[in-house]
Amino acid sequence: MNNMLIIGQYVPGSSFIHRLDPRTKITIIFFFVFFIFFANSLLSYGILTLFSVGSALATRIKVSYIIKGLTPVWFLILFTFLLHLLVTKDGEVLFRVFTYPIYTGAIIQGTAISLRFFLLILVTSLLTLTTSPIEITDAIENLLHPLKKIKFPVHELALMMSISLRFIPTLLQETEKISKAQASRGVDFKTGPIKERIQAVVPLLVPLFISAFKRAEELAMAMEARGYQGGEGRTKLRELKVGPLDWVALLCFILIIVALFVTRK
Amino acid sequence: MKLKAIDITLAAMFAALMAVGSNITSFIIIGGVPITLTTFLCVMAGLILGSRLGALSMTVYTLIGLVGAPVFANFTGGPSVLVKPTFGFVLSYILVAYVVGKIVEKKSSKKMFLFAALIGLVINYFVGTNWMYYAYKFWASAPEGFTYKMAWAWMVAPLPKDIIFTIIAGVMAPRIQKVVSKSYIGKRSVA
Repeated sequence: MNNMLIIGQYVPGSSFIHRLDPRTKITIIFFFVFFIFFANSLLSYGILTLFSVGSALATRIKVSYIIKGLTPVWFLILFTFLLHLLVTKDGEVLFRVFTYPIYTGAIIQGTAISLRFFLLILVTSLLTLTTSPIEITDAIENLLHPLKKIKFPVHELALMMSISLRFIPTLLQETEKISKAQASRGVDFKTGPIKERIQAVVPLLVPLFISAFKRAEELAMAMEARGYQGGEGRTKLRELKVGPLDWVALLCFILIIVALFVTRK
Repeated sequence: MKLKAIDITLAAMFAALMAVGSNITSFIIIGGVPITLTTFLCVMAGLILGSRLGALSMTVYTLIGLVGAPVFANFTGGPSVLVKPTFGFVLSYILVAYVVGKIVEKKSSKKMFLFAALIGLVINYFVGTNWMYYAYKFWASAPEGFTYKMAWAWMVAPLPKDIIFTIIAGVMAPRIQKVVSKSYIGKRSVA
C-alpha cells in the first residue's frame, strides 16, 4: 500500500509518451481540453478519438489498467448518455422503447457529449499515468513561473508539494504505529459507544500532531543548516529538458488541431 | 510574502496530515459512517498557520491530489476527481483555512478560536453542497426530481460528527498554538 501511495497512479515505463517532458504533456493536454469543445462533426470527433486512443495505446500501459483508472467517471458518462437519450427531442423518431420514442438527434447528441466527456478524462489521466507526481510538480513550478511577478510564491508551493508527497507515506505509517500503540494501552478504536470512539480520536491526533510538528521543525533546521535561502539562484536535482521528441509531439498535436478545424462543420 | 524554511515545512506537513485525515477510516470507524478528519484538519491549518499560509497549505493538498497522489478520500487522486460532484468540498478547504485564519488574526481569544472554527465548518458545507448540487445539474444534467433540498438532505448524516470535531479543533487549537509559539516554530515569520 505504501508503495502505491508514493507513486499514485503512475505506471513506470519507457514509452514515447513516458519520455516526453512533463511540460510538453501538460501544454498539450491543456490545449486539448480547450479545443475539444470545437469538435462538431463526425470526422472531427473521429480525429480527436484517434489521437486520444492512439496516445493511450502508445503509453504501452495495459488497457485494463487504464480503464480501471476511469472507474469513478464511467457512471457519469453512462448517465449523461441515457439522459440525453430520454430528454432530447430532435430529428426523427428512430424507434420506440415500449411507447417512449427515441429520436435520432438524441442518439447523436448523447453519443457526442459522452464521447467528449470520455476523451477529456482519458487524456487527462494519461498525464498522471505516465508522469510521476514529482515530475509534474517540477513542471508546474516551471510553467507557473510568470506568477512570481504578482508575488505568488511559486517556488515555495512546488517545494511544499514535494515535501508533502515525500512525507505522506511516513505520516500514514506513523498513524498506524500510534493507533497500535494506543490500542495496546487499551484505547478502543473499533467498538464501543460512539462517544467513547470520538474520544479515542484525541489520543491518536495529539501524538500525530506532535510528530508532524517535530518533523517540520527538524526538516526546517536541516534546510537552514544547509543554507536554504529560497528560490533565487537554486539549482535543481532533476532538470527538465525539451528534446527533439517534444518538438515532434507538439508538431503532431498542432497538425491534429489543424485537421480538427478543417473537418469541423 | 517571504517564507522561511519552517513555514514551508509546516505547510507541507499540514497538507500531508490532510492526506492522512481523509483516509483515517482505515484506522478508526465511528458509528458506521466512514469518517474523515479533513474538515477538522483544515480548520486547524487556518488556526495554527494563519490565513495565507493555511490557504497555501490547502492549495498544496489540492494540487498533489490533482497530480495523481491518492490523497483524497478512499485513496483516490488524479485529474478525474475534477468532475466528481464532491470536489467542491476539497476546493472549499482553501477558503475555509483562509477565513478561519483571518478571523483568528484579528482577535485571538479562546472564544474567537471556537467561533472561527464553526464559521469554517459553515463555509465548508455551504461551498461543498452548492458545488455538489450544480455539479449534478451541470455534468449529469440531473432530472427535475433532484432538488436543492435533496442535496442538503444528503449532508445531514456527516453533520453531527463534523460539528463535534470542529468544536474539538476550536478548543484544541489555542492550546497547541500556545505550546507551538514557545518553540522554534513560533519564531517563524507570521505570514
